[in-house]
Amino acid sequence: MAAGRGQSAVAMKKESVAAVPGRAQVSGVEKLERRSSFARQPSLRLLLAERSEEVLPILLDEIVRMGYARAFVASSNFESGQISVTAEINCPANYIKRFSTFLWSGDDPLVGVLHKGEPAVLPHAALNRRALYAHPLIFRNRSRCWEAERARQTECLAVLNDRSVRRMALQEQTCSTCEMRGYAYVVGVDLPKTTSERQLTELRSLIELSNRYLSRLFKVEHYYNRMRDMDVVIAQMETVLASMADPVILTDPQHRVITQNRAAERFFSIPENASEGAQRALELNNLLFSAALSSMAMSGTDSSRDLTLVDAKEGEEVLFEAVTAPTYSREGLRTGLVTVMRDVTDLRKADQEVRANLEKLMQAEEIVRQDRDRMSLVIEAVGDPIIVADNAGKPVQFDTLASQLFGKIGEDVRDQGRVRNLVKLSAYLTAFTFAFGQTEEGKLKLYHPPTDTHVEFNTRSGKILDARGQVSHTVTVLRDLSALRKVEELRVQARMLEMEKFAATGRLAGTIAHEVNNPMEAIKNSIHLLQNRVKPGAEPVYEILKSETDRVARIVRQMLGLYRSSSQVGGFDLNRVVEDTVTLFGRQLERAGVQTELELGKIPPVVGSADQFRQILSNLVVNAKDAMAQGDLPESVPDGDTPLPETKMRLFLRTRHLAGAATGRVVVTIADTGSGIPGAIRESMFEPFVSSKGEKGTGLGLWIVRGITQSHGGKIRVRSQDGKGTVFQIYLPVVRR
Amino acid sequence: MAEKQKSRVLVVDDERNVLLTYRMLLEQEGYEATATLTAKEAIRLIEKQKFDILLCDLSLEEKRTGFEVINAARERYAGVPAVLLTGYASPEAAEYARENDVAVLYKPIEIEEFLKTIASLLKESHA
Repeated sequence: MAAGRGQSAVAMKKESVAAVPGRAQVSGVEKLERRSSFARQPSLRLLLAERSEEVLPILLDEIVRMGYARAFVASSNFESGQISVTAEINCPANYIKRFSTFLWSGDDPLVGVLHKGEPAVLPHAALNRRALYAHPLIFRNRSRCWEAERARQTECLAVLNDRSVRRMALQEQTCSTCEMRGYAYVVGVDLPKTTSERQLTELRSLIELSNRYLSRLFKVEHYYNRMRDMDVVIAQMETVLASMADPVILTDPQHRVITQNRAAERFFSIPENASEGAQRALELNNLLFSAALSSMAMSGTDSSRDLTLVDAKEGEEVLFEAVTAPTYSREGLRTGLVTVMRDVTDLRKADQEVRANLEKLMQAEEIVRQDRDRMSLVIEAVGDPIIVADNAGKPVQFDTLASQLFGKIGEDVRDQGRVRNLVKLSAYLTAFTFAFGQTEEGKLKLYHPPTDTHVEFNTRSGKILDARGQVSHTVTVLRDLSALRKVEELRVQARMLEMEKFAATGRLAGTIAHEVNNPMEAIKNSIHLLQNRVKPGAEPVYEILKSETDRVARIVRQMLGLYRSSSQVGGFDLNRVVEDTVTLFGRQLERAGVQTELELGKIPPVVGSADQFRQILSNLVVNAKDAMAQGDLPESVPDGDTPLPETKMRLFLRTRHLAGAATGRVVVTIADTGSGIPGAIRESMFEPFVSSKGEKGTGLGLWIVRGITQSHGGKIRVRSQDGKGTVFQIYLPVVRR
Repeated sequence: MAEKQKSRVLVVDDERNVLLTYRMLLEQEGYEATATLTAKEAIRLIEKQKFDILLCDLSLEEKRTGFEVINAARERYAGVPAVLLTGYASPEAAEYARENDVAVLYKPIEIEEFLKTIASLLKESHA
């Protein structure tokens, strides 16, 4: 492209040179003569010509000086094929006209001379009143053009024309190597009537010499024109390079920078006033760049490298992708590398962001998936039918239970029960979806296929809104009220059953006690009567009889105690009952090595049966004593004044009035440092026949304590710790009388 | 002991074996014990002779009670000590016993308590 354009530029230049009017050139010649007085010889005069267009006017002038009347130069235009006189001396206009012709006018004698390439004397008859000497001038040279020499080509226009070995057609007067377009002129000289052979030879030599000069200058001008043309191309290329936003650097084979564009200068060219930091940064850039180039040159022909450079002006790092391609001369030699660097900082950032976002997205998806799985589990575990519907009230998801009622989503439901259920559900969902409220509760009576019954469901619905606040979905949970009712009923039944059980146990105990009581009274008395009449060998058996009977007697006594309300119900002094009890068991406690502490507060009279409270306290004090005696204390402790060893066994009784609503409550605390209530019976200790005392206990004590307490509207609180002790607290309401 | 031998005790209980053992216990203790199964017989005996103390079961034959016997005895001998022996006493019965100065012993009765109660009541009435 560049070469072609250069070629045409040369051709234009050539024509402009050839088209210079002859007369004007003559005056130029006169000036030259005045300047160079030494140039008297025609050959020397011709040497004065510095431009190709100056040669032909000098030639014409010399011809006239030789004594010829008139002379002219006709030049041919290769493009149009026209031949016309472009310079003349002493030629009138109508004379000149005769020599205007075309290259392809084969019968024109002038054209014939040009094609032949040989000078000729044309007889007068043809064109002129006189004979005309016609001499063709074409570009010729003895030596090849430089391009041909460098390319080692033998064929060059100049040489071919000079040797006349193989004549080229005029239309093809273009050098195959340097692409220079040649020229074709005809010099015409009017000959006088007689012209000697010597005169013609002289004329011929002069014209030949002129052509040699012309050819040389023409060649020089061709190169000049080509240089100009290349300058333009280079300027254009530089503009292109400069206008590129990416740094472009051309380096020689030693990686020295030949040229770089402005974008590259920013990173590699160190300005004179650069700060030390900037300078160092730029030096580092150059170093990195050279290293990258070296590694790329090693790796192959085309290559790319990532390169982080510092923008000295902005002070920030820029990530480049440097792509290099080797440059070659016309001869195919490597002349260096061209490197184009693409700023991929944003690209990489974007890439990283995309990757990070993808990662996040995947994580989010995982979380959503887990949530969904968890949600599904929850829904399945709820145990209530759940319906998810779209914003048109159309169900889109049923859980397993809902599917029982309505069939599966997308399934063609045929059976009447489910079809009716679906109609009811649809009506409900539509009403809710388009209602204003965000939540709704209602009732739906639906057919329940598994049980073949109709069940009334309690509905609870909520709306799920999208980002714009529009209903996206609705969720409805159905609750089987009949199931709830059943549970409630069962609960009541269980309570009643428990109460009945308690009552029955009590009644049974009472009845048994009554029926057992009298026979036992007889047995017990009989045993006593036999006391000193047992044969020596039968004594152990007698003792068993006695102790077992005592045990049964105790059981019966305890059982009946609950039903024995011999005392009047009224206000009594609880403190007095506590004191009486402690007095009653005082000796026993003392014997067991238990220290008893009393802390009797100021309390209002308690309404109830004092005897029954005596029973409560007796049971609890005996329990406390037994719990402490279960320890390591010896069976018998010396009576009387023998001081007791330091003991950890303590029984603590306290009464307090807790002020509160109305008249408040009275609380009796019975605390011991005994063995505690075994874990195994804590749950059941208030049930009848539960005991930790083995054969010693009846298992009725606490049952009675609870019965009496409850019949007085009171409550019992128990805290017990294995090996540490037990605290019973009985709270009794104070009733104003 | 001489003092005790003089004390005549009437014991009434509708359970034959129980009555028998009470009598034997009392006799072993040195009392002069008279035992009867029915309220009717008891009242007949009271009309014949004086007893120092009455021990009566609460519920007796044909819905009769120990209180009937005690009242009959006290009509004749005011202030004669009496003990009600019972397995079960309604609140009203217990109240009645207290009001009429009748001691109550609940079956099964600890023999020690049984004898102590009788002894102390006799001691009180003689004093």
